[in-house]
Amino acid sequence: MNEKIIVVDARFKSCPGPLIALSEAAKNAKSKQIVKLLATDSAAPLDVKAWIESVGHKLLKVLEKNGVCEIEVEIR
Amino acid sequence: MVKKMPKLSIIISSDKLDKLYPAAILASTAAAMDWEAELFFTFWGLLALKKDYEPSEISLDYAQYKNALIKAVESGSMPKWKNLIKEGKEKGKIKVYACSATMGVFNIKKDDLEDFVDNVLGAASFLSKAKDSQVTLFI
Repeated sequence: MNEKIIVVDARFKSCPGPLIALSEAAKNAKSKQIVKLLATDSAAPLDVKAWIESVGHKLLKVLEKNGVCEIEVEIR
Repeated sequence: MVKKMPKLSIIISSDKLDKLYPAAILASTAAAMDWEAELFFTFWGLLALKKDYEPSEISLDYAQYKNALIKAVESGSMPKWKNLIKEGKEKGKIKVYACSATMGVFNIKKDDLEDFVDNVLGAASFLSKAKDSQVTLFI
């Protein structure tokens, strides 16, 4: 569980930038590894949920502070 | 068992940026979601795939928004539409098809088209591919 968290900074990128950056990171990640996406695109939380339903990872948490969404995903 | 992923088919019939961007965004997103995406560039849409040609026009109705789009692309918040397709092809399952009828009408040769064009197809071939798609769009 102590695998390092991969942080994907997609702030100020509009759709589909955050999702593409996240899916790229997910491909390079190991199973059970956690990827954290930082995004300012307001649709990112919903988009990530739709992506997860499609590709089968696990949503761990969604946090929003100061207009930045932090979304943690566990890779399947 | 391998899950059968959905497929998106888009017909692109214009080389205006207000048409190319939505098509490229949807195709690249589909690729990121592990979907298949098939893009059929036809009539004025096919012009957008010519080598050494960079579409720069926006439909006149939306002229007032052109600078906003250019600014978004220049700032890096929005990737260039062609890069979305190219990168989506490298990482995912995007196919790009050129319309054979248009090539005849506009006298465009296969060599005139970008290298990322997968094939030249007629309407029947594209329809037979698109019939399996869960999402079909004409842009």
